[in-house]
Amino acid sequence: MRLLLAEDDPDLSARLKRYLGKAGFAVDAVDNGVDAEFNGCGTSYDVIVLDLGLPQRPGLEVLANWRRANIKIPVLILTARDSWQEKVLGLQQGADDYLTKPFREEELLARLQALIRRNTRTVGDSLAINGWVLDEETQSVSREEQRWELTGIEFRLLRYFMLHPGRILSKSRLTEHVYEQDADRDSNVIEVYIRRLREKLGKDIITTKRGQGYVFGKTA
Amino acid sequence: MISLRTRLGLGLLASLVIMIGLLWLTVGVTVRALMEEHMASRMSHDGESLLGGMQLAPGGGVILDTRRIQGIYQQPFSGHYFQVEADGHVTRSRSLWDEELQLPEVAVGETRVDFVSGPQQQPLLLWTRGYRKQGSMVRLAVAEDLEAVQAGIRRFQWYLAAGSLAVVFMVLLIQQYIVVRSLRPVSVIVEDIERLETGEISSLREPVPHEVFPLVRAINLLLQRQQQRLQRSREALGNLAHTIKTPLTVLLQLASEKVPAEDVASHAELQRYGRLINEHVNASLRRARLAGDSLGTSRFDLQQDLPVLVDTLTRLHPDRPITLNTNAGGLRQLPFEQQDGMELLGSLLDNAWKWARNSVQLNIDGGPPLSIVIEDDGPGIDAAGLRLLAQRGMRQDENIPGHGIGLSVVRSLVEALGGTIEFATSEVLGGLQVCIRLAGRS
Repeated sequence: MRLLLAEDDPDLSARLKRYLGKAGFAVDAVDNGVDAEFNGCGTSYDVIVLDLGLPQRPGLEVLANWRRANIKIPVLILTARDSWQEKVLGLQQGADDYLTKPFREEELLARLQALIRRNTRTVGDSLAINGWVLDEETQSVSREEQRWELTGIEFRLLRYFMLHPGRILSKSRLTEHVYEQDADRDSNVIEVYIRRLREKLGKDIITTKRGQGYVFGKTA
Repeated sequence: MISLRTRLGLGLLASLVIMIGLLWLTVGVTVRALMEEHMASRMSHDGESLLGGMQLAPGGGVILDTRRIQGIYQQPFSGHYFQVEADGHVTRSRSLWDEELQLPEVAVGETRVDFVSGPQQQPLLLWTRGYRKQGSMVRLAVAEDLEAVQAGIRRFQWYLAAGSLAVVFMVLLIQQYIVVRSLRPVSVIVEDIERLETGEISSLREPVPHEVFPLVRAINLLLQRQQQRLQRSREALGNLAHTIKTPLTVLLQLASEKVPAEDVASHAELQRYGRLINEHVNASLRRARLAGDSLGTSRFDLQQDLPVLVDTLTRLHPDRPITLNTNAGGLRQLPFEQQDGMELLGSLLDNAWKWARNSVQLNIDGGPPLSIVIEDDGPGIDAAGLRLLAQRGMRQDENIPGHGIGLSVVRSLVEALGGTIEFATSEVLGGLQVCIRLAGRS
């Protein structure tokens, strides 16, 4: 899951990046409105955390510009401003959720997960496809009585597959959604991780579509 | 303070009364003087004519030439009289009958004009002149009744007074018409101010006569400054929230990270203090953000702002498909500044949204007093809880599981706006019913 974090407080930003990274998000952090708008336009993020009080360009304006450019990535507004006027403005500008500071990291994570599930039209609290159940808290996957622990990248990759079951996902798309902006991106690494997932969970979990990409579960 | 119209009317009336009074007096005196002068000159002619035909009688007295005497002097009490006195002998016109006039003393060649009372109490103008005729001293007097002339003058004065009154009346009418017409722009301003108070408009119309333009301009500038100040202070409050809460977030997260997970009590305490700081900051900011009764601010519009608010709530609670039924009885606007209304209804509805199962009912009665009643079909609060809520204060509210913060927010808002709040069990929907009354707003 690729996440854009637009927050100008360096301490909070660093903490959130670490926390969300551990929770399986590939986090790109920006500390001003102009960079936020630019990144949001250029990269296909799965979710955006937007502070309203950004320097250089106010968060609301950034959000309005994204929506005008038809960028439909779900946005969670993270702000200290808790008046209803601001909530209304934020949500009318096209935000999907509104979390006021101070907040607990767990709450932010729960809201983000709910937002992603809502956006990929997945119902329920846990991700369960074709008998596979992904536990986001422990970053493990289970099937019937069996349980497998996953490494960070394995978890990110499998979650992305499970959120888009039956769809052909190209290597470059997978890379984009699993790694941060500044990570060393070699699309061959994806092949390595897919091989690892197959070794762990069985060959059939992911099918290769030659020249196109990979599919989790049956093709739609 | 007397109205401008009355004041202008009274001023004009006073000046007209003084002016016309003076005119009336002057004209009366002048006319009388002219008439008397005219009469005196006629009497002197009659006197000269009498004198011309007069002979001193040898035994004293005078002999008059009867041909020179006009008939009017022969009729008794005709109002025209003469009397000649020479050497102690008095000769009177026939019209005097047996009355005698008291003549003033005059020297030879001296003429006097007097007002005297004559026969039958006739007011007379008496013309007397002294002559020397054939060595004797002769006093010749001609008198004429003033009654007719005085009646004429009085009649004239009545007509003048009546005419003047009519003119005063007309001038006053015209003046009132002019005043009303010229003050029309002022009534436009008064109308605008009323609309300003109800929030229909946010500034006064400026095309007004230049006498009142500075006033309108000053009011508009004041309104504009007030709005700017409100906006600036709200922005500043937002920034303040930002500068406090971001470090608070880091602080709380840092603290809970450093405290070992087994120390449940410390975690709970951290949470509690964090929440307390946050709630106190929020409560103060919320009160400070209120515009209250400021003029020239836009109002909360039930047809524009409420749907937007409901849409926001629906987005904030995507897992709660709740329908809101609104009954505002044709009321278009709430008597609140728009953001105040957003805050109040936002907090109220948000609380209802959290607890409702399917539906929320919003009843608004324009009053006065204005009442807003919100009911939900959620679990509600038991009797003990309602009793706690009836007591004031944030701490009590917190003891009601779940509802706590939401209701204390609503309560502090309502109190800051000068209203009262009551909690009950909804008879229709079975959940909580919150009733807000705001006197003095309608």
